[in-house]
Amino acid sequence: MLQYSIKRILMAIPVVVFISFIVFYIIQLPPGDYVSSYSAQMTAAGEVMTQEDMDQMRANLGLDRPVYEQYAIWIKKIVLHGDFGFSFNYNKPVLDVVKQYMGLTLVVSLVTMAFQYLVAIPIGIYTAVKQYSAGDYFFSGISFLGMATPNFLLAIILMYLSYTWFGDPLLGLFSNEYVNAPWSMAKLMDLLKHLVIPVIVIGLASTADLIRVMRGQMLDELNKPNVVTARSKGLSETKILFKYPTRAALNPIVSTFGWSLSSIFTGSTITAIVLNLPIQGPVMYKALLGQDMYLAGSWLLFMALLTVLGTLISDILLAWLDPKIRTEFRGN
Amino acid sequence: MKRSHSLLVLLMCMVVLAAGCTSNNTAQPSETKKAVETGEAKPTPVAVEGTEGLKEAPMLAALVTDGKLPPVEERMPVAADIMIEPVVEEIGQYGGDWNMAWNGPGDKWGVGMITEEALFRFNKEGNKVEPNVAKSFEVNDDSTVFTIHLREGMRWSDGQPFTADDVLFYWEHMLTKETFGKKIYDAYYSVDPVSGEKALAEVKKVDDYTFTVTHKYPSVQFLERVAIDNKWFFAPAHFHKTILPEFVGDAKTLEITKQWGYEDPKQFLVETGYYYWLYPQIPTLRPWIAKTDANSDQFIMERNPYYWKTDEAGQQLPYMDRIVENKIQDPSQKLLGTLSGEYNFGTFDAGDFTVLKENEKKGSFRVIPWTQPTWSSNGIQLNQTTKDPNLRKLFQDIRFREAISIGVNREEVSDIVTNGLADPIQASVPEGVVGYQEGWAQQWAEFDPARANQLLDEIGLTKRDRNNFRTFEDGSDLTLTIFESDPNKNAFLELLKKYFEDLGLKTNIKLVDNGALFDLKYANEVPIHTENISVANIALRPDTLVPLRIITPWFGHYGLYSQSGGTEGVKPEGDVAEILNIWNKIKASKSADEINQLANEIYKIHMKNQWVIGYAGPTPTLLVAANNMHNIPGDLVWVDEYRTLGHAHPAQFFIK
Amino acid sequence: MRTIPVFRRTRTQTAKSAAAKDIQISSQWRLIYLKFKRHKLARISMYVLGFLYLVALFAQFIAPYGLQSYDSKYVNASPMTIRFVDSEGKFHLRPFVYELKSARDPETMRKIFVADPEKRYSLQFFVKGEEYKFLGMFSTTRHLFGVEEPGRLFLLGTDAMGRDMFSRIVLGSQISLSIPLVGVGISFVLGLIIGGISGYFGGWIDSIIQRIIEIIRSFPTLPLWMALSAAIPPRIPIVTMYLYIVIIFAFIGWTDLARVVRGKFISLKNEDYVVAAKIAGVGNTKIIVKHLLPGFLSYLVVATTLAIPNMILGETAMSFLGLGIRSPATSWGVLLQEAQKIENVALYPWKLIPLAFVVLTVLAYNFLGDGLRDAADPYKK
Repeated sequence: MLQYSIKRILMAIPVVVFISFIVFYIIQLPPGDYVSSYSAQMTAAGEVMTQEDMDQMRANLGLDRPVYEQYAIWIKKIVLHGDFGFSFNYNKPVLDVVKQYMGLTLVVSLVTMAFQYLVAIPIGIYTAVKQYSAGDYFFSGISFLGMATPNFLLAIILMYLSYTWFGDPLLGLFSNEYVNAPWSMAKLMDLLKHLVIPVIVIGLASTADLIRVMRGQMLDELNKPNVVTARSKGLSETKILFKYPTRAALNPIVSTFGWSLSSIFTGSTITAIVLNLPIQGPVMYKALLGQDMYLAGSWLLFMALLTVLGTLISDILLAWLDPKIRTEFRGN
Repeated sequence: MKRSHSLLVLLMCMVVLAAGCTSNNTAQPSETKKAVETGEAKPTPVAVEGTEGLKEAPMLAALVTDGKLPPVEERMPVAADIMIEPVVEEIGQYGGDWNMAWNGPGDKWGVGMITEEALFRFNKEGNKVEPNVAKSFEVNDDSTVFTIHLREGMRWSDGQPFTADDVLFYWEHMLTKETFGKKIYDAYYSVDPVSGEKALAEVKKVDDYTFTVTHKYPSVQFLERVAIDNKWFFAPAHFHKTILPEFVGDAKTLEITKQWGYEDPKQFLVETGYYYWLYPQIPTLRPWIAKTDANSDQFIMERNPYYWKTDEAGQQLPYMDRIVENKIQDPSQKLLGTLSGEYNFGTFDAGDFTVLKENEKKGSFRVIPWTQPTWSSNGIQLNQTTKDPNLRKLFQDIRFREAISIGVNREEVSDIVTNGLADPIQASVPEGVVGYQEGWAQQWAEFDPARANQLLDEIGLTKRDRNNFRTFEDGSDLTLTIFESDPNKNAFLELLKKYFEDLGLKTNIKLVDNGALFDLKYANEVPIHTENISVANIALRPDTLVPLRIITPWFGHYGLYSQSGGTEGVKPEGDVAEILNIWNKIKASKSADEINQLANEIYKIHMKNQWVIGYAGPTPTLLVAANNMHNIPGDLVWVDEYRTLGHAHPAQFFIK
Repeated sequence: MRTIPVFRRTRTQTAKSAAAKDIQISSQWRLIYLKFKRHKLARISMYVLGFLYLVALFAQFIAPYGLQSYDSKYVNASPMTIRFVDSEGKFHLRPFVYELKSARDPETMRKIFVADPEKRYSLQFFVKGEEYKFLGMFSTTRHLFGVEEPGRLFLLGTDAMGRDMFSRIVLGSQISLSIPLVGVGISFVLGLIIGGISGYFGGWIDSIIQRIIEIIRSFPTLPLWMALSAAIPPRIPIVTMYLYIVIIFAFIGWTDLARVVRGKFISLKNEDYVVAAKIAGVGNTKIIVKHLLPGFLSYLVVATTLAIPNMILGETAMSFLGLGIRSPATSWGVLLQEAQKIENVALYPWKLIPLAFVVLTVLAYNFLGDGLRDAADPYKK
C-alpha cells in the first residue's frame, strides 16, 4: 500500500504541471481580455477609454505579452516566491483574495457536506432495508423532487417565498447589520438563519443523489449470499447490516468521494450567485468571465490539485474498504 | 445685434432672479453671473447668517467634546465663503445610513458620481454651470482669461487647508504630466479659428484662493467643458507628494505600490490619482469619505467632518451619517433587497416598473422616474464604415435606412419590449433636450412594409436566394449581423430579426461577451449594434454624434481618421465631413449663441440622414427611495454629464 | 453469480409461449421483463415517458402555435379557463374559451386581461393553423386542436412576448427529451469501454487512463463554453448547435461512469468465475461482456437513469448562463431561464410550469430506473 501511494504521488506531479498549462491556456481562449471587459465597464459608466488608454493599461498589467511568456512568469513566481500573482479585478494579490473568502466557503461547504452524508447514508440504508414501506416512498419522493429541480430556480423561488412569508429574503450569509460586526451569539444565529436556504438548495440535490445510490447499492448487497448466510448463522440484523452490505455498498460512493473534495470549493456556483453567497465559487466564476488570469488560473490549479489528491484518496480508501482490491494491490 | 444683446441681458437677469428665489433666506447664494458682452464683471457679494448659526451632526459633536476634532467653525470655511446647498423639500435632520447595493469596485462610478464635488457643476436645468468647489469666477470679454476664486478656510477631509496650491499642483504635477492614465483633457485646449491649431492653456496662481486660466484663443465653453471632462481640477498636494515618483523617486513609489497591495506602479498611480474616492487614505472634499476596503462585502463611507457646505439653517451637511454599499452578484438581489426594505435606495430600468409599482405599499417605498435624454430605448446603429464594401454601400444608402425603419412595427416593439412605457417613435432628440427638432420623432416611424419592400427593390436587391432571402445585385450573400452583449436585449433582437426577415433580409444575432465586443468595435468588426445615443448637449460632449474618435458604432472608422490625424481609418465624406466642418467652427467660436446655432445644424444633419434608427422612444430611469428618505427631486434628467444621481445633490438627502 | 440454463436460447425462440410460462428455463432478459411488470410505479413511469416522447415526436402537430407567434396584445396572459357552461348558464357539449380583452393598468403598466363573454370560441380538432413540416416530411397547416381565428387558446398562459406557453413547452420537449438520451448514450458507451479497459487490465494502462481522466476533469468548463460560444457561427441550424452541446456534455460526462465501472471491475476481476474462465482460455472480450458485465448491470442501469435527468438539468444550467439553445429555438432550459426573474415568480407564476414538466420527467426516469434495477437484481424474490 505504501509503495502504491508513493508511486501515485510521484505520478501526480507531472499531471498537475500539465493541467496548469492547459488551464491557463483555456482561460485566455475566449476573445478579449481583462482590459477589454474593464474598458467596456468603464465606458458604460461614462468614462471614455481610448485605444491608447487600453494599450497603456495592457502594458501596465503585462497583458500585451504572448501567452506562454505570461504563463512562464506566473509559474516562476509560484515556484520561486509562492506568489500566485495579482488579481486585476480586486487590485490585490491572489492569495489575499482567496484568504478573504476561504473561511465562509469552508463553513458553507462543510455544513452542506455534513448534511449530505449524515442524512443520505442512514436514509439510504433505511429505505433499502424497509423497501416499499411508506417511509421508503416518502423519502424517495422528496429526494427525487430535490434532484429534479434546477438549483437556481429553486433558490430564487425560496428567496421570494421567504420574502413573502417572513418579509426577509435571506440574501447572502449575513444581514446588513452583522456583516462587519464582531462575532457574537446574535451573529452566529444570523448566520445559521441565512444558511437554511443554501444548505437546502445546494445540499438537496446531492443528498438525493447519494440516497439513491446508497439505496441501490444496499439493495444489491442485501440479498447476496454472504448476508443470507450470516443471517442463517444467527447474527443479529444490525450487526449484519454494518458488517457486510454497508461496506460493500459504500464502494461507488467512496469511488467518487474524492471528487466531492473539489466540490467543497466550487459547490453550486450558480446557486451561490443567485443567493449572493460570499464564497469562492462566484469569485472564480467572475474571474473566469472577466479573464482575471492569475486569480482564475491559481484557483483552477488549486482545484486540479484537489482533484488529483481526491482521486488518490479515493483509490486508497477503496483499497482499504474492499479486501478484494487490497489483495490486488498486494499482488502488484 | 442690438436685440440679441438685450435679450441676453434679460435672460441673465431672469437667471439671477430665479437663483435668488430658490434660496429662502435673506442671504444671497454664492453665485455670479457670467460676464455680459459689455465686459463688466459683477461678482455678487456673499453673506451668511453669521457663524453662531453653524450646527453639526451629533456624532461629530461627540468627537469635538472628546477633543478629537476641532469645533465646527474651525473646520468649515470662513462664514462668507461657506456654500449653502438649497434643499429640495425641507430642512432635514441628521442621522441614518444610506443603504444601497452595488456590484463591487467595478461599480466605482456609482459611488463616485453621488459623492462627487466638481469645481463647477451643472445647474438644475442643465443649461449652465454654477460654482461648486469654486466660489465665483470672472471672464474677460473674449473668453480667454478665466479668474477663479476659491473659498477661504476650506479644508481637505484630513484637516489640511485647501488652497490654490492644490489646483496648481494638480495641473503641473499630475494632469500635464499625465500621471493618472488620462491625456490632458480637451477642455484645456483652445483652437485657433483660422488654422485650427490647438494651444494649451496656462494656469497661474494669483493668491492662496485665486488662480487664473489663460487661453490663447477664445474658449467660450471652457467652464462647461471642465465640468464635463475633468470635473475636479485639484488634488491633495500634501498626499500625492508622498507617492509620486517625481517627489520620492521611482524606487520609493514601487515600494509604496507593493505596500498597498498593487503590482504595477503606473496602475497604482491611476487608482490613487483618478479613482481616489475608494481609498480611506486619500483626503477628499467629498461629503462622505471611504472607511472600509472597497472589495469587502460592505463598502462603507462616513461623513466628512470638514465638508464645506451647509443648508440654509446653518447645519453642516451631509445629513446622512454613512453610505453603505452592499455587494451583490445578481440584479434580482437588488430588486429583492429593495422590496424587503434592506436597501433604502436603488436605481432600476424601466423593465422593473411593474414589479416595483405593485409593491410600493408593501415595501414602503416610492418610484421616482427621471427622464433619460436617449434618442431611443431600443434601436440600432448602422456602421457607415463597415468593412464589407457591399454592406457599406448599402448602409450609406438612405433608402435602405428608410426601408428598415418603416419595415418594423413600433407599436408591437413598444408593447412587448418596453411594456408600453415607451412611445413608438423614431430615434430623435426628445422634447425638452437641446437639439429637439419638430417632427423628427415621426420621421419614418410608420409601419409600411409594402413601401419598405418597394424601396429595397429600388435599391436593386431584387435577386433572391433559395431561402427567399434577398441577395446583392451580384448574387453575393446579404447578411445583416447584429452584435450584442446585453442579454436583456434578446426580446428586442428577436423581434427585429422577424421583421427584417419578413422583408427578405437575412439577419443574424451574434451574442458576445462585452469585453470582446469592445475590442471588436475598435477593430471595426461591428456592422450593426444596438447602442443608444444619449447626450445632453452636443457642443459639450460631441463623442456620440461627431466622429472624433472610435467610440460610437455608427461612425466607426471615420472616428479613427480624426483621431489619428488622417493616417488611419476612413476619410469622412459628404454629410459626415460637413459635421466635422461645423464642429471645427464650434470649437473656434467666440459666442455661446453661435455655438448653439451651429450645434443645431449638426442635429439637423442627423435628422436628415438618420444613421441611427430607433424603434421605441426613451424610457425613464426609475429611482426607488424608501418613504422615510426625503429631499429627492422628481423629474430631473438622468445623464452622465450631470453626474446622474449626483445631480440631485445627495448631501441634502435625509432620513426621518 | 447465477446459473444460466444451458439450452435456454433455442427453446425460447421456438416454443415461445410455452417456455415463457416456465420461469425456470427463461432467459435472463425474460426474467427481468417479468419482474419489471410487477413494479407498478415503474410501469406507470414507462407509460408516462412513452407518452411524453410521443408528444415530443408529434410536437408540431400537437402544439396549437409555433415558436414565433409573438403577439403584443397578449403579453403575459394567465392560463385561459376552458368552459362548458357559458355566462347565461347554458351547457355546451363542446368546450370553449372566451376572448381576452386587454387593458393596461395606468398605475403599474401591468396588462390586465378580462374574459369577454360576448365572444366565444369553441375548441376544434384538426384546426387550421400555422404551417409546419409534419415529421419533417410534408407541409401542412392542420393542428391537433385549437380555436378558429381570430380567437386564441392559451392553455398555460403566454410569455413576455405573447407566445403561447403550452406550445413552447411541447415544442421545447423535443430538444429537452432528446439531448439527454443522445448525450447519455455517448458517455455511457465511452465510460463503459474506457472504464472497463482501465479496470480489467490494470497496470500502466490503468494508470494512464486514470491520469487522462483527471486531466479532463480539471478542464475549466466555463471558459471552454465561452470560447465555444464565441466560435459558433450565429446562424447554424438548431440540430448542429444541439450536436455541439451534446458532444461537449458527453465528453465531460463519461469520466464519472468510467471511474465507477473501473472500481467495480477491479473488485469483480478476481471472482472465482472470472478466474475460472481465464484458466479455461476464454478471450478477454468474452469475459468482459459475458461474465463481468452482468455482474453489475443493475448498477449501470441505475447510473444511466440517474445520468439522464442530470443531463436535462445540465442543459437548463447552460441556458441559464446563456450558452446553450437560444430563442426563438426553445427547450425547457430556455423556458426556465426566462422564468428566472423576480417579476415572473411574483407576478406571472404560470411561467414556472415548465418546472413541473422537468420534475415529472426526472421522476419518471428515476422510478423507471428503480424498477429496472429491482427487476435485474437476481437475488430479489
